[in-house]
Amino acid sequence: MPPRSDRTLSRRDTALFAACLIASVLMLARPVWGEAVAGVVRRSVLVPFLRIQGWAEASRTSRASFDTLRAQRDSATYAAQFLPALRAENQRLRSLLSLGARLTVPYRAAEVLHQSVPTDGRTMLLSIGSRQGVREFSPVIGPDGLLGVVRTVDRDRSLAMTWAHPDFRASAFALTVGVFGVVRAAVQVTGSEQLLQLRGVAIRDSVPIGTLVVTSGLGGVYPPGIPVGIVAGQAEEETGWERIYVLHPVANPAAASQVLVLLGSTDSSLAKLFTGDSVP
Amino acid sequence: MIAIRAERGRLWSVLGLLVVLQFALRPRLGIPSVAPDFLMVALLLFAIRSRPGAAAVAGFLVGLAGDAMSPARIGAGALAHSVVGYLAAWGRAVFFPDNLFVNGLVIMLGVWLRNAIQLLASGSGPGSLARELFVWAPLQALTTALTATLVMVLFQRWLDIRIEG
Repeated sequence: MPPRSDRTLSRRDTALFAACLIASVLMLARPVWGEAVAGVVRRSVLVPFLRIQGWAEASRTSRASFDTLRAQRDSATYAAQFLPALRAENQRLRSLLSLGARLTVPYRAAEVLHQSVPTDGRTMLLSIGSRQGVREFSPVIGPDGLLGVVRTVDRDRSLAMTWAHPDFRASAFALTVGVFGVVRAAVQVTGSEQLLQLRGVAIRDSVPIGTLVVTSGLGGVYPPGIPVGIVAGQAEEETGWERIYVLHPVANPAAASQVLVLLGSTDSSLAKLFTGDSVP
Repeated sequence: MIAIRAERGRLWSVLGLLVVLQFALRPRLGIPSVAPDFLMVALLLFAIRSRPGAAAVAGFLVGLAGDAMSPARIGAGALAHSVVGYLAAWGRAVFFPDNLFVNGLVIMLGVWLRNAIQLLASGSGPGSLARELFVWAPLQALTTALTATLVMVLFQRWLDIRIEG
């Protein structure tokens, strides 16, 4: 076969490049198509690689926490000797102080499979899926508060949209002052920290700096009482009919390595999971 | 013919190793936004040895895989990687001499450009964009370029790279 001329090869290169650009732009313009293609890729070609990454994540976290776990096991063994007496005493003290029982919300722990792309913190690939009971719109939380919500569920993996995603919204209210609003990622960023905004606060209401903002439970996606952020100040209003507050987020999705996916009803408040239940 | 096949086989072995490292080693390397991107190393090593069309297709596939795993905006990764793959192959054919330092520099610029295009296509705000482009992207580009340099030194004969200043 005679060798192809440079011009033919050059045309072919240009055509291939143009085809790649067109396909990329089509996926950007039609997210439904893009999601369909990405779902097929995720459930087929990437399965063995994601399994390897899952093992690597599990190995890293288990190695890092081995010493801590051993120390905790020793302490737990020691403490278990006094468990029946402690439980009875705890129950008696809780009833004396009129405290309710601890919440038992069904959940599954998951590893976060971080990727190398710069937009990694806006979504999280989780190591559990529908087989473990995860559903679309299952809330994802960390030890400090709300991280996001599950958007796509595969058999053994799921994708969560974090609060840093431009499409993220959550109904929330400011504790102590009881002001409601909608939380979303802030467009502007100060320093190195991604911030949140509490929007839609009525002009007549105001929220002091330092107030904790938690999910309100409205909308039925997030249970009430999950910490979202702490008020850092007031942003400039453009519309004139609302107040906008800037929040420091309490949980950082980009740094999260393990999360909890809530599987149960979103009706009961989770406030007691995040705050000490002792009376000051 | 046999020599060319052996050469290609060696190149694909290195690329395969980099893909495995991306999933097996990278999660253990600490901060995800700074850890080296082995897939970008593989893509750019392939691109600077290929025709621009093949490099664009390889970039599209790598980007699509990234979009499938971290879909802030599906298509942004495919677009960014296609452009970077095409430009690396085209630039290699037109400008770049084949030596270690220049290859490392191309990889560093490639990672930074990939991050820039992907962030722009994903609709990042100006503040977030500035922070990513001037803090995290250079750090990731640097670690990736250093990793690529190490790979090129270790596999210089397989990759047919001359060690020069």
